[in-house]
Amino acid sequence: MTRRALLLFALAALACWFPPCAAAGNGAQLLDFTRDEVRRILQHGPWPFAWSRDPSNRVSGNPAAIELGERLFFDTRLSSAGALSCAACHVPEKGFADGRKLGAGLEEVDRNTPSVLNVRYNRWFGWDGGNDNLWAQSLRPLLDGRELALTDRRVADLMHNDLELNCRYRRAFGAPPAPADDEAVLVNVGKALAAYQETLVTGRTPFDDFRDALARGDRRAAARYPADAQRGLRIFVGKGSCHVCHFGPNFTNGEFHEIGIPVLRKLGSVDWGRYQGIKMLQASRFNLEGQYSDDATRSTAVYSRHVTLGPQNYEQFRIPSLRNVALTAPYMHNGHLATLGDVVRHYSEIDLTLMHQVHLYDSDGVPQTLPVDKILKPLHLSEREIDDVVAFLNSLTEKRTGVPLKRAARKSDCR
Amino acid sequence: MREEGGVFKVIAALVAGASSLAVAAPTCGSDLRGAQALESAGYVVAYRTQPPKIEVGKHFSLDIVACAKGGAPAPDNVAVDAFMPEHGHGMNYKAVVKSSGTAKAAKPLAKSGARFRADGLMLHMPGRWDLYFDVQSAGTTERLTRSIVLE
Repeated sequence: MTRRALLLFALAALACWFPPCAAAGNGAQLLDFTRDEVRRILQHGPWPFAWSRDPSNRVSGNPAAIELGERLFFDTRLSSAGALSCAACHVPEKGFADGRKLGAGLEEVDRNTPSVLNVRYNRWFGWDGGNDNLWAQSLRPLLDGRELALTDRRVADLMHNDLELNCRYRRAFGAPPAPADDEAVLVNVGKALAAYQETLVTGRTPFDDFRDALARGDRRAAARYPADAQRGLRIFVGKGSCHVCHFGPNFTNGEFHEIGIPVLRKLGSVDWGRYQGIKMLQASRFNLEGQYSDDATRSTAVYSRHVTLGPQNYEQFRIPSLRNVALTAPYMHNGHLATLGDVVRHYSEIDLTLMHQVHLYDSDGVPQTLPVDKILKPLHLSEREIDDVVAFLNSLTEKRTGVPLKRAARKSDCR
Repeated sequence: MREEGGVFKVIAALVAGASSLAVAAPTCGSDLRGAQALESAGYVVAYRTQPPKIEVGKHFSLDIVACAKGGAPAPDNVAVDAFMPEHGHGMNYKAVVKSSGTAKAAKPLAKSGARFRADGLMLHMPGRWDLYFDVQSAGTTERLTRSIVLE
C-alpha cells in the first residue's frame, strides 16, 4: 500500500469514527446519540456487575449450601402434597417464571409469578416488597397455604429424616438440624435456597454488547446493534423516561410505583401492594432487624429501619428488572398485560384517572384534580415507535443462558 | 450529582422562603471537611454527605451543623427531607436526625453551632431533588433548600 493510500485509509477510518458519519459497514448504522443519551445508556452496565455475599446469610456463596439449596429448590417433598416444588412456578425453561397470568401452587394466587433470575440484586422481594432479604422471601411460598402449604415442623422433619439432605445440611451449616428448634431449621432451609438462587444470573445480551462498544468508543461494533432497538433505546432514555424507574445495570431502581394497573382481585378485594408489603415486613420475625439475620452490625437493615408507610404506598408494586423480559410474559403484578407490545401501549396511552389523585386549587382558586405522581404521562407513540421499544426490550434477553436449564445429574453420595 | 443552576435555585428559594447560597459563613461548620453551606435570614446550615458522592438508590447520611445568626434563637433540631418537584414525590424513606453536639448558637453567629447526624436518606431516581433542611427553634421552623441533580 502506498503512502497516499495509507493516508486515505486513515482519513476514511477517522471519518467513520467521529460523527456525523454513522455508517459502520454492511449497511449497519449507529444513531447520532447525544452525550446525555450516551451517559444514560452507559448507566445500564456493565453486566454482570460485581456481587458480594449477603451478610445476613452466613451461607451466602457457600458451595455446600448452594448444592443443598439447588436440591431443595427442585424437591417436591417441599410441599404438603408432595407434588410441587419451587421449580413448579419458577420453571427454568420459562425464565424461572411460569408463563401463567396468575401463579398457582395448591391454589391459584392473586399475583403473577416473578422470575427469580437476578433476584440476588434486589433490595426488596416480592411484588409488594414484603421481605427485605432473599432467605425470608424463600420461606413465603413454603408456608403460604395456597402455594406449598408446609409448616416448619414438616420442613424440619424432612431435614432430620432424609439421610442425603441431613448430610448436606451438616456440610452447609456445620451442625445437624437442631432437634428442638423447627423454626431455626426452617430459616436455614431458606438460607440454603437463597444461596442457590443467588447463582441465577442472566447472561450477556445484545444490548450489553452495544453498551460496552459505546463505552470503549467502538462505533463499528456498536452499529451492529439493530436500528430498531437503537431507536427504541432512544425513546427509553429520552422522551419515555423509562430509565428513571428501570435504572442501572439490572434495569430497576428496586423501588415501587403505581402505574394504573387494575388492582381488584378476583374476589373483589383490593390488592394494596406496597402498603400491605411494608406492614408485612414490619410484622415479620424474619426481617433484617430480627434474630435470624446473621448481620451482626444490622447495617443491611438500614432500608427497613427507615422505610415509610403511608397512603402513597397504596397500589404500588415493585419495579421489575427488564433483563430477560421477553421470556417472562405475561406482565405486571397480576399478569394483566399479555405481551411487551401491550406493556408499551399501556404506558403510551396511560389513563391517569386510574392513578391516585390529589385535589387542590390553582392560583385563581379553581379546583383541580391531578395525579399525585407526575412522572407518567401519555406519550402517544406511533405503531413504529412501539415496535422500536419492543425491539429494544427484546434485546435485553440473553443470547445464551447464563444458567443451565437442565440440572446435572446429582449423586446421592452424602450420608 | 451536580448542583442545579440559578433558575432552580431561585425556584427553590421561593418555595422555601429562604435564600440558597453556595457561599458559607466561614465560621459555621468550618471543621466539616468538604461541607457545603446554605444561608437564610436566621441560620447557616453546613452539611456533608457520607459517602461524599450521592448515588441513585444508595443510602447516605448527612453530618450537619446549624448556626443561628442575626439574633435568631438557637437551633433546637434540624429535620431533613428530600423531594422531586418535577415528579411530585419525595423519598420512600424517612431520615432520622440525632443531635451529635451541644448547641451553642446563642451568639449572633455561633462558631460551633448545633451538630446533627441524619441517617436513612435514599434518592431512588435520577433527576432533580430538593434537599430540605428545616431548622426548628423556639417553636418556629425555617426551611433552607439545596437543589441537586442526580445523574
